[in-house]
Amino acid sequence: MFLVENVRKVYRIRERGSWFSRQWKEVEAVSGLSFAMRPGSIVGLLGVNGAGKTTTIKMCCTLLEPTSGSITVDGYDAVRCDRQVKALVNMIAGGERMLYWRLTGRENLQYFGSLYGLSGSRLAERVDTLLDLVELREAADTPVERYSKGMKQRLQIARGLINDPKYLFLDEPTLGLDAPIARQLRRQVKQLAAEQGKAILLTSHYIHEVEELCDEVYIIDKGRLVAHDTPERLTRSFCRETTLRVTIPVLPDALQRDLRQLAERHRGTWDVAETDQQAWELTLRSEADLTAPLLSLLAAHQSPVLRLVTEQPSLEDVILQMAERRSA
Amino acid sequence: MFQVAKATFLRNTLVMLRAYPWSFVIGHILAGVYTVLFAYFAYTHVFAGQLDDRFVRYAGSADYLSYVILGGAFYSFAVSTLMNVSRSLITELREGTLEAMLLTPSSRKGYFLGNVTQQLMRTLFEFSVILLVGRLFGLNLAGADVWSAAAVWLLSTGAFFCQALVLGSVMLRFRDTYITQNTLFVLMAFLSGVTYPTAYLPEWLQPLSQLLPLTPALEAFRHSAILGQPLSASAPQLMHMAILSAVYVAVGAVGIRRMEKRVLESIFG
Repeated sequence: MFLVENVRKVYRIRERGSWFSRQWKEVEAVSGLSFAMRPGSIVGLLGVNGAGKTTTIKMCCTLLEPTSGSITVDGYDAVRCDRQVKALVNMIAGGERMLYWRLTGRENLQYFGSLYGLSGSRLAERVDTLLDLVELREAADTPVERYSKGMKQRLQIARGLINDPKYLFLDEPTLGLDAPIARQLRRQVKQLAAEQGKAILLTSHYIHEVEELCDEVYIIDKGRLVAHDTPERLTRSFCRETTLRVTIPVLPDALQRDLRQLAERHRGTWDVAETDQQAWELTLRSEADLTAPLLSLLAAHQSPVLRLVTEQPSLEDVILQMAERRSA
Repeated sequence: MFQVAKATFLRNTLVMLRAYPWSFVIGHILAGVYTVLFAYFAYTHVFAGQLDDRFVRYAGSADYLSYVILGGAFYSFAVSTLMNVSRSLITELREGTLEAMLLTPSSRKGYFLGNVTQQLMRTLFEFSVILLVGRLFGLNLAGADVWSAAAVWLLSTGAFFCQALVLGSVMLRFRDTYITQNTLFVLMAFLSGVTYPTAYLPEWLQPLSQLLPLTPALEAFRHSAILGQPLSASAPQLMHMAILSAVYVAVGAVGIRRMEKRVLESIFG
């Protein structure tokens, strides 16, 4: 069991001062955060930039020490028993760092495996298994500097699994990857949790990724936990509005007036924008389903409908709402 | 620890064979060779082979060319060891692999041991080339106690390694390699008796020279290589090196650990 209890992280940042004076500012990146991870579950950690996601992950991986609070991994304290905890966790970050570019994929895994105490046939078998898992067997003996971005990311996944961690932290793992490769990675992440029972914590800016993968989501803002639930329940509780988008060729004043009245009657909002194709896109947001009244209204005005889309609220809307509240 | 050392040794060897900046090796050899050439021309053409009386008293020998050539070679060896070990962590930071390394429960001692043993191959090569060139310009090792000299050379590696830990933590602190290392190297060349005995230095500077492991290391090496003395004759210098090593390794170990934390905090803070 991975337990984060009332964890706080304060950075001391040096501010510009004169040559002879030092001024320090304290910035609280994480404030009283608590959560748990269970084997076989995928947990999402969401928040806007600067919410404290990366700091949280680094503390969970023992790279940073919490200012207060505790992180306990299978009974080991992450600060006092960091070596034991390091053996149980690993982290995979997006981007092309955390690999030795002049070594081949195989040599990278062999080196990192050695740092985790693996050797001999056990190490060789583990490396081969991981190369097969991330489909890099054919490129295993090619220097990493000749790998594509997707190949480097897959090798990162193999590196993150080299110690067979019980708890895996994924920080923007699909950042900048092409859609097919990102999909393949998501499939692998699901398999790791479902088939190997790993507990995974994921942060991602691609909200659909979190919705697809995560069993539960923690949303943090300015280092504080603001919500925790399944993606579906979070979405329903934060965003009840359904969005209707209709494209029409003409927008007479009378129709505009009636649309405004329709939105006001249902305590909704409406918006209009001209499209590139010299048409108008109307957007209506309301907790009520306005599809039928809207279509009736358009029919009454004899307005043809070029396109009609109904959008259910998503986790992205939850984050956007939070960001709007934050900046308000 | 030894498994980590072996893995790091292997990794560095592979990187060196594939993409090592050989300009570093050539640069170290050239620095040593230039010291030899400069001393040779100054000694033979400017001073016409004349030394003042104090040199024999301070150095224990009148063979200035052997004195300065060994000084140049040993200085180059010290610089290589210091550079290769102290830059290892900051290179990991710059190449983006520091986090991946710090995520592992590996021994930091093993990591540095792997670095230092791998770079011994390079420094031995550089040292040998400088000595070969030095032979052409008057290096005389006819009376050398080779085993004793080799033992001093190895012990000095340990002392430079300990000093490199402190240098490495200073580099991590300031995220700088160039100014930090070159300031130290200039001080070493000036204060450690590379081209002249430290007794020539102003009295107020002499205690500073005793803080640098290169000073006793060079004295002990010259005792064995020029005067042919056994290791026991250099006991005070070896003791001096041992004390400096103990201090440097204690400061360096704490410094590296603190700086690792500081660097990680500054990356995310």
